[in-house]
Amino acid sequence: MTSLPIWRLAPGQRLQYRCWDGECVLYNDLSGDTHLLDEFAVALLEQLKTEPQAAAQLAAAFELDAQEEDALLQTVLDDLAALFLVDLLPC
Amino acid sequence: MLTVAALGQPELSARLRGPGLRLRTGPFISCIRSSVPALGPALERMYGDYPVLDNDIPADFDVLLRRPRGLRRLVKPQVFFHYDGMEPFQPLPLAQLYPMFEWAMNWCVSSHAHSWLVIHAAVVEKEGKAVILPAPPGSGKSTLCAALVARGWRLLSDELTLVRLDDGRIDPVPRPVSLKNASIDVIRAWAPQAHLSTPVADTMKGTVAHMRPPRESVVRADEPASPAWIVFPQWRAGASAELVPVPQARAHLRVAENAFNYSLLGAAGFTTAARLVDATRTFDFSYGALDDAMAVFERLLAERR
Repeated sequence: MTSLPIWRLAPGQRLQYRCWDGECVLYNDLSGDTHLLDEFAVALLEQLKTEPQAAAQLAAAFELDAQEEDALLQTVLDDLAALFLVDLLPC
Repeated sequence: MLTVAALGQPELSARLRGPGLRLRTGPFISCIRSSVPALGPALERMYGDYPVLDNDIPADFDVLLRRPRGLRRLVKPQVFFHYDGMEPFQPLPLAQLYPMFEWAMNWCVSSHAHSWLVIHAAVVEKEGKAVILPAPPGSGKSTLCAALVARGWRLLSDELTLVRLDDGRIDPVPRPVSLKNASIDVIRAWAPQAHLSTPVADTMKGTVAHMRPPRESVVRADEPASPAWIVFPQWRAGASAELVPVPQARAHLRVAENAFNYSLLGAAGFTTAARLVDATRTFDFSYGALDDAMAVFERLLAERR
């Protein structure tokens, strides 16, 4: 039996960000970069800050039900992982 | 307070040749030494109102401008710049002594003043409200800055906006305004009363001249200002003056791009830029005529009254 991958906020990220009119800038504590994100991406990060979660849990939290929306969630998680803002819990 | 003008040329030259001229520009004290005779008169013309400190006062920046040693100086007159004993730049032709001095002083601040977020931007103030003008070369930033100063805005800087990390206010570091190429004659015509240095041709920036800051800007160099607007200017021939709002998150990124030490400051740089954007209205500004531009800035000011 295989367990679902669990996403977490990357260790060391403090989530310093500021949002204006639907757009956010976020300071990456690991790279020192500043990223331009939308509010959904920041909300995902906040959700993962509370506790590591599987994509299905996140989808439920954001009331995503259609397949298309789940695909969007996966794309955003992959984008955030590429920025070292989130990663998968080691098995 | 002793000033460069009050010091007189003989004493000014003696300090430059000897222990150094301790010149105060905003929060910084520079110890300037030079074996080049032309520097004294140039400083007297452009820095006459600036405070001079006693020789035993420690300096933030220790700079030396010197002629080359040996007979080569007779064949190829040059000037060398040294900072704390290092030589960060290639020498320049002697005729470029004064522009080199100004560029070197900018470098001292932008490379070392990490107690502030230092943005490559002009900044002027009126009625306690500061407008920050970040822009790449060629955008008309310094021309706009010089024109605003000639119309009564206080010069905080034409190159270096110093944003405090603790409260977000801007500390002035007023120094002569750098003008290049066509903008020299534009400002001569726009502000005949302005004092401009003799233009120097064939520099790496073309022909350059500097506009002496008004005395009031120098005297008030210890008065910080509160940021009210960030305006990204772009001069275009024949363009009408137009302000277009810049979304704040985008403005934050553009402030970061224009700051010398945003990355170096890490989270403090981020926090300071975010607070700056919070405190200001942010615009792209295209303009083709200074008269139109002045009217736009006066309107911005009137809207904040």
